[in-house]
Amino acid sequence: MTTVLVVEDDKNQRLLYEQELKLEGYEVVTASDGKEALEKAQEQLPNIIIMDINIPKMDGIETMGKILSRNKEIPIIINTAYSNYKDNFMSWAADAYIVKSSDLSELKNTVKEVLAKRAEDS
Amino acid sequence: MKKKPLSSSQVGTLKKIKKMLSKSKGKVLDDNLLGSLEEMCEDLGSQLKKREVGAGNLSVKNEENEESKILEEQIQEEREIFDNVIDVMGAGLCLIDKNSKIIWANDTLKEWLNLNESPVGDHCSDIYHCDVVGTDKCPAELVLKGKEGHMIQSWVTTKAKKRMCIQHIAIPITNKNSETDNILLLTVDVTENEKMVHRLLLLQQFGEITQGTLHLDKLLHLILTCITADYSFGFNRATLFLINKELNVLNGKLAIGPSSSEEATRILKEMSGSHNSLIDIVDKLDYSHNIDTPLNTMTKLLVYSLADAKEVVTLCTKEKKPIIVKDAAKDTRVTDEFRKALGVNEFVCVPLIAKSEPIGVIVADNVYTAEPISDERVNTLTMFVSQASLAIENAETYKRLEDKINQLTETQQRLIRSEKLAAIGSMSSYVAHEIRNPLVTIGGFAKTLSRFTFTDAKIKVNIDIIIEEVKRLEKILNNITDFGKPSKPEKIDAQICEIMENTCLLMDNYFQEKHITLQKKYETGMPEVPVDPTQIKQVFLNILMNAVESMPDGGKLDVNIESVDESIRIYIIDTGKGIQQGVLQNIYDPFFTTKPSGTGVGLSVSLKIIEDHGGTIDAISEQEKGTTMLLTLPIK
Repeated sequence: MTTVLVVEDDKNQRLLYEQELKLEGYEVVTASDGKEALEKAQEQLPNIIIMDINIPKMDGIETMGKILSRNKEIPIIINTAYSNYKDNFMSWAADAYIVKSSDLSELKNTVKEVLAKRAEDS
Repeated sequence: MKKKPLSSSQVGTLKKIKKMLSKSKGKVLDDNLLGSLEEMCEDLGSQLKKREVGAGNLSVKNEENEESKILEEQIQEEREIFDNVIDVMGAGLCLIDKNSKIIWANDTLKEWLNLNESPVGDHCSDIYHCDVVGTDKCPAELVLKGKEGHMIQSWVTTKAKKRMCIQHIAIPITNKNSETDNILLLTVDVTENEKMVHRLLLLQQFGEITQGTLHLDKLLHLILTCITADYSFGFNRATLFLINKELNVLNGKLAIGPSSSEEATRILKEMSGSHNSLIDIVDKLDYSHNIDTPLNTMTKLLVYSLADAKEVVTLCTKEKKPIIVKDAAKDTRVTDEFRKALGVNEFVCVPLIAKSEPIGVIVADNVYTAEPISDERVNTLTMFVSQASLAIENAETYKRLEDKINQLTETQQRLIRSEKLAAIGSMSSYVAHEIRNPLVTIGGFAKTLSRFTFTDAKIKVNIDIIIEEVKRLEKILNNITDFGKPSKPEKIDAQICEIMENTCLLMDNYFQEKHITLQKKYETGMPEVPVDPTQIKQVFLNILMNAVESMPDGGKLDVNIESVDESIRIYIIDTGKGIQQGVLQNIYDPFFTTKPSGTGVGLSVSLKIIEDHGGTIDAISEQEKGTTMLLTLPIK
């Protein structure tokens, strides 16, 4: 079973991602802030992380840095309402950068692609 | 004149004439002439004295007939000399009796008044054509009453077809009983004085006119027109050079005057007799017909470096005083090139000096009439030119000021616009992101819901409405966030026509659907320009979209691309509704839209992109006729 860690501070949006990804057949773990995300990443060892940037306690980019410093094998997709972080070189460390949309097909496709690429590489 | 024997009464008459002449001093404008008249009277007096002596001798040697004959011949000779003197003295003389009947007139007067027959016996008004006959203003009447008799000057055309201004003065001649029996009418040539008065008047009028500010072009025309106008300075041609301080050269600016002698004769004919005031000239000033004359075209090609003052005109600005060239072929200050360009041997250069700095030169000549240029004329011209210099300086300063103000206004407008964009950018990106999150949730769940099957079909329809509306909102947000993006164009060398072609291809279906006939005209062999193709494509898309939307019932759409100087011009011309007056100035404002479903950011984003590329966007629109959008992009 593929586990997806969804980091999202907005409760309802978290619920949306959880529901939709479960429908896609993934095991879904959620975190609502940076700290929790860091803990969950260590405990649950997800196969992929979907990361929001504007989150409390520690922002998404910093959290991503910390997670990758411990386990650089884990693919991370940045999913944010802001398009301008795209130019931030820290976000280049992510496997993909998605601007949030009510149409979740882009997100779902990206998850699939990133996972497939990882499977290919290993 | 009947030759009467000499008598002492003639000596008396002469004395009276002298007295009258000295009285007339100051009344006649030309004192020189008066002086020469007095001298002549002096001569005449001494001659008479001699003859008196001769006459005395005659009585002594009465019996010596032979000698008296010789004497008579001598008197005859002297009389002829006397007549000659009167004829060449440069004044018209006419003797009339109390009834204004002409007793005698000299040849000069006949010449001036263009009389073919002897006027003796005629009434004086027949030759003078005055309208004061019989009134108390008649100079002859006035002197009879012991008053001064003058007639205001009038213009005549002489036998030699010369325009001349003359003035008549009546001088009473009294007999031995101190009664006035005859009147001498003295006619003097005051043409030069009259012209001088005109010139002074012109100077005064010019001063008045230039106290207000004239447009520089108009002013230059006015100055040269004054110099060439027949009744003022009367030069045949005038050419104006101005100094270009940046390039340190003297530039030919404007020339006024006929281009050929045929034209010169025609103009002279038209002008003669017409005494327009300067204000009339300014009003009627037509500088279109002078622009393309060969003379003017040639003048504009004349450029002389100020670094080496080899040319007479540059020398003139250096020395800051007028230079009169009498014989250009022999004058070392005049180069062959300049002489040939001007095509005249005698001319005058007068420097334009404002605030003791030279600003240019005026060259005037009489190429057609070949009239010599007198010092006196150069002096008045210099006076006029110094005033003209100040006016030019003023006009130039004013023009610079105007340019600066225009620049400032434009900069200010740009600043306001970019400030608006910046404010919108920071504010909107915050709002946009705050809205995006809940929108994602609403739309996402709506989508989730739409996958369920409902018993009531209405629910499905309603959910789809939510999904569509969320999509629309998201589209707006995407447009707004474009402001916030610090999007520096990633420029590569690209062919603008190709980008346009791709954009049109993209819209091909859309054009067909909206019944748009697209006509493309690309200049061949255009250079590539450094642009961000994606951004430029977005601009083209925005503008083409606007064009199509302005033609809901279809129409013609022209796309022309050409290169002009250092830039590429892209014209997008539609035949749509056009943009309303009052709307035109707002079209670049963010969120300004006239479309029911528009976001109002298309053109402002386009403007930002084009300005980032160093280009411009202009909209020319006529209601119900269509709109032309002109984009320019710099080639370098």
